[in-house]
Amino acid sequence: MSELLEHLQANLQQVTGYIYPNEIELHWSLLIVIYPYVTGLVAGAFILASLVEVFKVKEVASTYRLALLTALAFLIAAPLPLLAHLGHPERSFQIFLTPHLRSAMAMFGFVYMWYLMLVLLMEIWFEYRADLVRWSNERRGVMKLVYWALSLGSRDLSEKAVRFDRKAVYAITLVGIPSAFLLHGYVGFIFGSIKANPWWSSVLMPIVFLFSAIVSGIALVLLLHYVTTMFRRVKPDMACFNKLASFLMYALIIDLSLETLDFIHRMYESEESIEILAQLVVTKLFISLTIVQLLLGTIVPIVLLAIGRFSRIPEEVKRVVFFIAALLVQVGIFSTRWNVVIGGQLFSKSLRGLTVFKMQLGGIEGLFMGIALLILPFVLLWILIKILPPWDQQEAS
Amino acid sequence: MRLWKIPDQVIRLAVLIVIALAVLIVVRLRFIPDSFGEIGHYRTDALKEQAALTLHYAGMQACIECHDDIGEMKAASYHRNLSCEGCHGPAFKHVDDPGEFSPAVAAGRIMCVRCHGYLASRPTGFPQIIEAIHNPVEPCTACHDPHDPTPPEVPEDCSACHAEIARTKAVSHHWSLSCETCHEASPEHRQSPRSFLPKKPTERAFCGQCHGNGSSSRESAPQIDLNEHGGRYLCWQCHYPHHPEGR
Repeated sequence: MSELLEHLQANLQQVTGYIYPNEIELHWSLLIVIYPYVTGLVAGAFILASLVEVFKVKEVASTYRLALLTALAFLIAAPLPLLAHLGHPERSFQIFLTPHLRSAMAMFGFVYMWYLMLVLLMEIWFEYRADLVRWSNERRGVMKLVYWALSLGSRDLSEKAVRFDRKAVYAITLVGIPSAFLLHGYVGFIFGSIKANPWWSSVLMPIVFLFSAIVSGIALVLLLHYVTTMFRRVKPDMACFNKLASFLMYALIIDLSLETLDFIHRMYESEESIEILAQLVVTKLFISLTIVQLLLGTIVPIVLLAIGRFSRIPEEVKRVVFFIAALLVQVGIFSTRWNVVIGGQLFSKSLRGLTVFKMQLGGIEGLFMGIALLILPFVLLWILIKILPPWDQQEAS
Repeated sequence: MRLWKIPDQVIRLAVLIVIALAVLIVVRLRFIPDSFGEIGHYRTDALKEQAALTLHYAGMQACIECHDDIGEMKAASYHRNLSCEGCHGPAFKHVDDPGEFSPAVAAGRIMCVRCHGYLASRPTGFPQIIEAIHNPVEPCTACHDPHDPTPPEVPEDCSACHAEIARTKAVSHHWSLSCETCHEASPEHRQSPRSFLPKKPTERAFCGQCHGNGSSSRESAPQIDLNEHGGRYLCWQCHYPHHPEGR
């Protein structure tokens, strides 16, 4: 108890204006920032993969499997921040056993299940099935068994069967695009539908979330493609880098336009909350919104990508420029999530005061937990790449 | 002859899905508590567990059964909607064994000030005091009976109830004006404030008595041409009369 009071005391010293007692401490902290960030990466990576499969963008074909595995690794990790935030992760399986059909929050379970089970896993299975059969024939020992189990005992490598796999992948991707939109649109909806919070309540929220997801997903795959190309010591596919950078730039411009539209709309409407929101933006969120999200996370990457795409600089430098731009985009999109989740709780419902967010270091909601949850998808991705190498087929071809 | 043969892959996936569904059904049967979902999206047994928890609060009805005189007095007062245990604390033990346990009596000033201390966000008209200047040190119960808090003698000063307005006016250029200069309040307003509301000025000309060009007010009072200044707006649409220089 005394520890809690000390903690509140530290917050109280930085409270400005008038706030209600239950607003001193934020209830949704770092883990709830990570949740939309990770979910966005899933949707973005999948949408990039769909460019290859549905829109036949040949240049980025070499990232198709990597994007799928990235989406899967991040999707597996996506619900963990939520489950940890609920305080009893060991009881979380009960959510899946007794789903609530009328709760907007519980809808995540259905959206997640649909996306994981019927879109991503199925698409990856059909995409890899022929390889799985081949690998189970070639390998010995435990891995033979693993590949046999993953192929569900399938042995058919006939042309007809492989053709069916391709058709299935195409059909699932067609269903997958709206599903990916649904997944991250849903996360935006959860915030946008909270009408009591003027910072969140906006019909544009799902759309803004979706486009920032696409931005972050493309940037992540670009980063991974850069790193994996470097470690595999293969000749960099410059056409692929250029195309990824172009898509990233276009998505960033659309994302920035939508955010600006939202901003102008709020300014013009000037509802009663505008004064406190203006205070919020120029004080508590100045660094994370103006400096990190807008300047470092959006404008600088757009400029860097434009320089990389349209100037005559050496290819090595170009790739580094793209890499830095993609890295900045990641920082920027994380800030976007931070500004939505944390920003939305920093001002009082009385619209008269602001509180402060003090992050813990340890504990289930702390910084270390957050870092662990952000590293976890990369560990999962590494394991997935070891089991399902995304490059064999292309190198062979 | 079959027109279309189900591909091998689809059969294997279908088998996997059927197995997954079967496992889900078995797990549901095993892990969902028996009483779940009988009357809502929760365990019915949870209600029994809650009901078995130790009681701390007895509820107002239990208090009134013995203290009916106080209950009647309170029911006719401004505090009629407050629960007894809100001020006296949990009293279940007292109801159970009145001789052994007595509920706490809220003494001093701390308890009353929780609701009646001045706060900008409280509604206008809600009785609020600034603790430091409202009969300092004196316990509230010296003048007010919490079961019928209307003071035995009606307040002499408007600020007894309208502290937030008095406080604002005191630091404004209107500090020297008495409330009656602008408001006409009937004596009944002090007894039943909401039934007999005080009157407020309704026309620009009222402010013009002091602020119109050529009026006989003090030199320091700003004067304007009533016909030109502010168009058709009423004075108080731009100037807050209790703090006219504020923005």
